[in-house]
Amino acid sequence: MSGWLTIAKWEFFRSKLKFDSRSAILLTLTLALVIAASFAAAQTQMSMNQKIYTAASTEPALRPILESDQRFSYLPVTIYDATQFYLYGADFVIIGNNVYLGDNPKSAAAGSALENTIKEYREIVLTSYNDINNSHPVWVTVHDIERPQNFQLLSAQGAAGSLDTGMDSGPNARSHQGYPAGEITTEYLNAGSSFTLPQDISDLDDYKARAFFQKQTLSTPSFFSPPIPFTAILYAFLFIFPIYFISQFYSTSIMDERTNKKGELILAAPLSSREIVIGKTLPYILVTLLIQAVITMYIMGIPADIRTAQSSLLILAAILPVVLLFFALSFFGAILSRSFKELTFTSVFLSVIISGYLFFPAMFTNIHAISSISPITLIVRLIEGETLQIGTYLFSTLPFYFVAFSAFLFGTYIYREEDLFTQKAVSEKITDCLEIFLLNPYGSVFLLSIIFIPFVYMTQLMLIVMLFNLPAPHSVIVMIALSAMAEELVKSAGIYTIFKRKLQLVTMKNALRLAILSGTGFFVGEKAVAVLTLAPIASSAFGAVMTMGTLLLIPLLLHMSTAAVSSIVMYRFGTRRYLLSVILATVVHSAYNLFILRGVLFG
Amino acid sequence: MAKRARYCKKVRSIAKKEVGELMREKTFILSLLIQLFIASFSTFLVIGLTSFYDPTIMGDIEMQGISVAVVGTEENELYKLLQESKINTRLYSDLTPAYGDFYEHRVDAIVIAPPGPPEGTDILNVDIYLPKSEIKATLISLQLKEPLEKFEQHVRDIRTQRLPGYSPIEVNINKRGIKTSSTYFEFIYVALLPLLVFTPAFISGGLVIDFITEEFERKTMELLLVTPASMLEIVSGKVLVAVAIVPLQALAWMLLLSMNRIAIMNFFTILLMVTLIGLILVLTSSIISVIFRERGVAQLLYSMVLIFLFMASYLFTNSPLNLVTRLSIDSIGASESALWVGLYTLVALALCMLTVATVKKTYKNN
Repeated sequence: MSGWLTIAKWEFFRSKLKFDSRSAILLTLTLALVIAASFAAAQTQMSMNQKIYTAASTEPALRPILESDQRFSYLPVTIYDATQFYLYGADFVIIGNNVYLGDNPKSAAAGSALENTIKEYREIVLTSYNDINNSHPVWVTVHDIERPQNFQLLSAQGAAGSLDTGMDSGPNARSHQGYPAGEITTEYLNAGSSFTLPQDISDLDDYKARAFFQKQTLSTPSFFSPPIPFTAILYAFLFIFPIYFISQFYSTSIMDERTNKKGELILAAPLSSREIVIGKTLPYILVTLLIQAVITMYIMGIPADIRTAQSSLLILAAILPVVLLFFALSFFGAILSRSFKELTFTSVFLSVIISGYLFFPAMFTNIHAISSISPITLIVRLIEGETLQIGTYLFSTLPFYFVAFSAFLFGTYIYREEDLFTQKAVSEKITDCLEIFLLNPYGSVFLLSIIFIPFVYMTQLMLIVMLFNLPAPHSVIVMIALSAMAEELVKSAGIYTIFKRKLQLVTMKNALRLAILSGTGFFVGEKAVAVLTLAPIASSAFGAVMTMGTLLLIPLLLHMSTAAVSSIVMYRFGTRRYLLSVILATVVHSAYNLFILRGVLFG
Repeated sequence: MAKRARYCKKVRSIAKKEVGELMREKTFILSLLIQLFIASFSTFLVIGLTSFYDPTIMGDIEMQGISVAVVGTEENELYKLLQESKINTRLYSDLTPAYGDFYEHRVDAIVIAPPGPPEGTDILNVDIYLPKSEIKATLISLQLKEPLEKFEQHVRDIRTQRLPGYSPIEVNINKRGIKTSSTYFEFIYVALLPLLVFTPAFISGGLVIDFITEEFERKTMELLLVTPASMLEIVSGKVLVAVAIVPLQALAWMLLLSMNRIAIMNFFTILLMVTLIGLILVLTSSIISVIFRERGVAQLLYSMVLIFLFMASYLFTNSPLNLVTRLSIDSIGASESALWVGLYTLVALALCMLTVATVKKTYKNN
């Protein structure tokens, strides 16, 4: 097993040599510039909204207020010009105590911005008095308490069925026990949580700083804000950033060996392709994880007690599958691409898709069930000081692990001369992967369908994320069609490979036999996934689309027959009509699903 | 003159070659897909987030079937304010029945109104109990903000008189009935639009690195140099293609936004701006690629430079992103915008000369 170690060492030390002294100096210099600029930018409001509104004013007294906000450019006017403020491009005019807005959306936005600015200015002035009982007399304490859930379907207003994520939020949580007996007191409800009201003004800043980071529990009404995890999401972005960079290096290194044919020497060495791939990949993954550990330390602080140490470890555990997926897809992309240009686009494309999958659901962390499909949501919750249960972890990360593993597996299959050093078409290379898999003694279309399940599953979840803002029932109908398409694609891919590469005779009997195998495989895998993970979102209509509830035998027949549709089309008209066969199968599949869901959609 | 014509002809033929490759490899289509994805994603984000987080937009939706238990007395000022708001309230004199109803889903939150008088000297604490991990919790906290602020204002009106020399700012904003909030407006014009129109410029900067380093990596640069084309002509051709596709894509995005009823002013100035920034980025990355020739190193350096420029944009008014924002909503005068566009043109010209100088220095014999 020392083969991969040699490769790993070689990869690790050779990549350093790429940087001559000139580029190393320049890189350090740009890095220093980036850090300096970021630091300077952090001192500002971190928004490029300078001077987007023009405020005309006859009141010099209000000037400092308007100038405290970079959004306003201040325009002093005389009382005679004031009535014609819109001629000077001003969005509103201040005359005495009155503010007059123009008659367009921009003016309305400027008015609402002014409201906030005045509010903030007032808070600053009041805080300067250092007399909290008179300047900030009202405080709000928010407690989250559990109650039994009642599940409901996703209604057309987009209000989700409430969800029991099994998340446990520290001190205030209580397991589902029965209704408490006797007198309810605030002490009882606040059991275990300690909220101390502020004593003086310095505490106020303390609470504000904390609110920036965690879920708010205590604030004044002016600073009271709904639970938007924006800050936590910004921090989560810190984790993804290094992965972008290092995966770029990784895919460049693989592509490099392909273009320069350096890789031929390694292939000639007495090493299995698996050893080569492991050796080339491991250094990059280890370096990335090391960086992630440093970032975790930066965010969570040096672990002082068991709890923070546990949270930090959980954050790393949540980011691991994301790292693996990024690298697996970069690896596969680097093998498929024919040139660096193609590789750049492929990797950017994949990064954008995965980032969307990760961050978009996280935006709805405290709002919608769907948010738990993203590991970033787990990280956001951990940063906000919650804990995490194993079920939620598995639900979020299993698809990542599976897809990463299969991408590495299939990539390793075609890590060989004829695929690495020729200008083969991408579809041919993918067919190569499948062919090698099917030629395996254990490989079959049955197993292939099962392996593809996580891919389909992630695609479908991605679709939910994309479509969940379209009004229902349209979103569900589009979802049904696209889901069916994804399923039919993977079920027929194996059959396509067998017919195209003539692995078996192209006969009607074989077409039916393969369709039954492929359909059954998909059915078995789908049910396994349903049992394992879908519990958290099965309560919404989307979940219903993906699992179809309890009808068991009919889905099995459906999967077989739609696979048969595509395989028979390919048998009759040849594999050149592959796309047509998939579309036909999709139509049949969608029709069935719409029929099943008619009650939810139109009932 | 003849020399110049020859130069142009060669640049054209190099450009043709690159365009042909772009189209053949389908990478350009992939790039458009990426941007379409970003665009559709951001629109979803706008719709999703604003409808969730913006009380002014949520205000149109009735708080149907959501009611809040208030523990307190009839006279309590906070109770009166909550009654005036959009929230359905139920008054309880004691916490026990209120919690019972909360448990049975008859009410969805409990607010304990502070009994203390506003004239007092102690802090008044409002305890709010929300159902854990339910969407209703977010909706309620959005709706509660306004009455709570009014309550705070009410208490402050009495108590701030005790602060020496404090006079409250009395400003009365006359709304014209247009429902929009600054958050939503600024998200579209400050974040979304600049990001969308500049994405093609960022991508082109990366693209030209591949154009140039690929020739070195594949050892085809020597072949090209054997032909009558000089290094300068080769680089010019590649730069030309990378820059030409920037305004085309930006135009597509702006039309897409306009179709979504997002009005954009100063259309052509924005396109000019985007093209200039595209040129600046493409020239920067060309210089980097000609000097380093290693794709990995060049891409990394370019990314660093890009992040630096992006961060630096926060620091001053009329940075490219801010300038596009101000142009799109017509918040900038003609003379000011002309001055800044002129400045960016000068930067681009300076980079042109620098590129020419670098290429000539690196390839003296060509």
